[in-house]
Amino acid sequence: MKKSMKYGFIFVVALIFACSLVLAGSPAIAKTKVVKIGNILPLSGPSASVGIQGKYARELATEQINNAGGIKSLGGAKLENIYVDSKSDPTVGVSAAERLINSDKVTILSGCWNSAVTYPSTQVAERYKVPFIVPVSVRNTITERGFKYTFRIAAKDAWWARDQFEFLEDMKKKSGADLKTMAFVYENGDWGVGMAEQWEKLAKKYGYDVVLNEPYPSTASDLTPVAMKIKRKKPDVILLTSNAADAILLTNTMAEMRVKAKAIIGTGGGHADPMFRKNCGANAEYMFDVVEWEADLRKPGIPELNAEFKKRHGFNLSGESVDAYASVYVIADALEKAGSTDPKKLRDALANMHLDSGPAMIVSYDAVEFDETGQNINAGIVMVQYRMIDGNLERVSVWPASAARAGYEAVFPMPKK
Amino acid sequence: MRISGFPPVSAVRENEVKMDFIIQAIVSGTLMGSIYGLAALGLTLIFGVIKVINFAHGSCLMVGMYAAYWVVTLTGVNPYLALIVVVPLLFFFGYFLQDIVIKPVLEAQSDVREPTEVIIVTSGVWYILDNITLMIFGAEYRVVQTSITGKSFEIGEIIVSTPKLYGLIATIIVSVALVWFLKYTKMGKSIRAASLDREAASLMGINQYRVFNIAFGIGTAIMGVVGCVLLPFYYVFPTVGVIFDVKCFIIVVLGGLGSIPGALIGGIIIGLIESVGAQFMASTWTELIVYLVFLAVLFIKPAGLFGEERDW
Repeated sequence: MKKSMKYGFIFVVALIFACSLVLAGSPAIAKTKVVKIGNILPLSGPSASVGIQGKYARELATEQINNAGGIKSLGGAKLENIYVDSKSDPTVGVSAAERLINSDKVTILSGCWNSAVTYPSTQVAERYKVPFIVPVSVRNTITERGFKYTFRIAAKDAWWARDQFEFLEDMKKKSGADLKTMAFVYENGDWGVGMAEQWEKLAKKYGYDVVLNEPYPSTASDLTPVAMKIKRKKPDVILLTSNAADAILLTNTMAEMRVKAKAIIGTGGGHADPMFRKNCGANAEYMFDVVEWEADLRKPGIPELNAEFKKRHGFNLSGESVDAYASVYVIADALEKAGSTDPKKLRDALANMHLDSGPAMIVSYDAVEFDETGQNINAGIVMVQYRMIDGNLERVSVWPASAARAGYEAVFPMPKK
Repeated sequence: MRISGFPPVSAVRENEVKMDFIIQAIVSGTLMGSIYGLAALGLTLIFGVIKVINFAHGSCLMVGMYAAYWVVTLTGVNPYLALIVVVPLLFFFGYFLQDIVIKPVLEAQSDVREPTEVIIVTSGVWYILDNITLMIFGAEYRVVQTSITGKSFEIGEIIVSTPKLYGLIATIIVSVALVWFLKYTKMGKSIRAASLDREAASLMGINQYRVFNIAFGIGTAIMGVVGCVLLPFYYVFPTVGVIFDVKCFIIVVLGGLGSIPGALIGGIIIGLIESVGAQFMASTWTELIVYLVFLAVLFIKPAGLFGEERDW
């Protein structure tokens, strides 16, 4: 009895196995083709919050593209994202890029948010001749190495700094405020140090006296010493580059130490993080921030997409997540035009891209186009100001005037609370 | 090309610093340093008794902070009132962490004086705790708006942060209570006996594993206090422990392994270096100074400032 049961069991297993072989072989249910995208993002560690937003945005765009029939020129091929956690660590990023290319055989790479990780990871992609889409990392040199396979959607940091100073010049004219001294306070990673280098050049050009040039570690447990130093130097303008956690800590500590200035300007990143607004409240009121995107921009599709995103994840889209979202459409467009997953053809499609329609156009400018260095030449920048509206801290686009939210203009200099 | 994080020399050169800023720096540094010292207290206690370097110490702080966060968010009580719930919670968390996870390894290695495998186990606990938290609560930074968040008062020109002042007070209370407990209670005496000589203590009828459980529980409960103290001015996120972890290790070695005053003084020294040092140089350089002082102390007094010459 026992023996016959055993044989019966083996028979059933064999039957299932045989069936599965037949099914797998039959053309009727052959799997649709999949295009793999390798994403390297900081999913844990100090930048995890922003990395996870990028992941959510990619998932949303991928889902929309796949539901709309995938890549038509590739027979309705579906996009598939593979995520690797970089932990904001360059060495992890490099090995992740190697692994995604060699083991996972991805068609295209995307990431890495942290400039320090993007810089060496794109080098790996260049060596293997695999296209690498950089939605956000802003360090200039990423697209200044003559690479053929690196394409950046966001503006580079030189442009961010340029616009911060142009904004100040414009405000000086409009408000008559006297701005002479400046403090640079920035996280000591590649991004912050790169920004500070730009600031230094521009401060010289525009005739500002730099009274403080202060890098600090993003993982600091206490920023009171930094806030005290700013207070001591009494700068007219404070330029900040911070990651998420330290942006919150620095802003709250500056408020506690009663640090005042005529203008405090952030550089996106931590200051654009939804957590910043939630956690700083009134302490951040009237602070400025440069971003490439804001939810109040007058572009079709933004309210719907933002509502969908908020429904799923409980917070609004940010510049980072919009770039990440658009990047998937950029990849889809390139695949569509190339009609192939061949890296060379895909690269050429990216180099010749002129994407000016579709969901990706929730960005603040009108088309994605890459120059010969792989930089998106249209990437634009908006200045926002934190304002209290009905008891809620909101990011209001205030500059340039063409992008400003209807009925709002910059309050400059910052009122002394 | 400049080395990342180090400013040009022009920025390192600083002009004159006024006296009141120095006093301000000393005040802020002492306040923050006392909180570092409190965080290191738990580590030094656990090491002193069990001779185990608890790599999950920062994660225990993280657990303490999340516990405090949820108690305060859900009930809306003052973070210092939350101590009533958080401290016992963390005590039992530590107690059972030692009892269930660490004790079996200690028992298996009972003839080894320095059970190195336990270090691996605590590292594992660290990774597991941090990542479970990441999974459950997500990577977002959480800040509670409590009644004393951002509160400060001025004495002349000097600004004193109220939540940090409470931190100093908590540090003093916890240290005094801990010293009293170790000196005058039966359990405290057993803990000291077990830390001096495990075998002799066992022969005197002390159940060493129970002593270990309680010592670990107290060490973790202190992290509950730190969690409540930090909550009004620091944010909570899954890897928050790592930031304080490294500091705790430096403080404990600097002050002397297992020494309570060593942990407190060590904490204040680190706080002062960070705060006063940053007034004369870029704040990224103060980390360098911390390690230089650390090395110098180890050269001059290898057992640490308050450590006893003993081979652990």
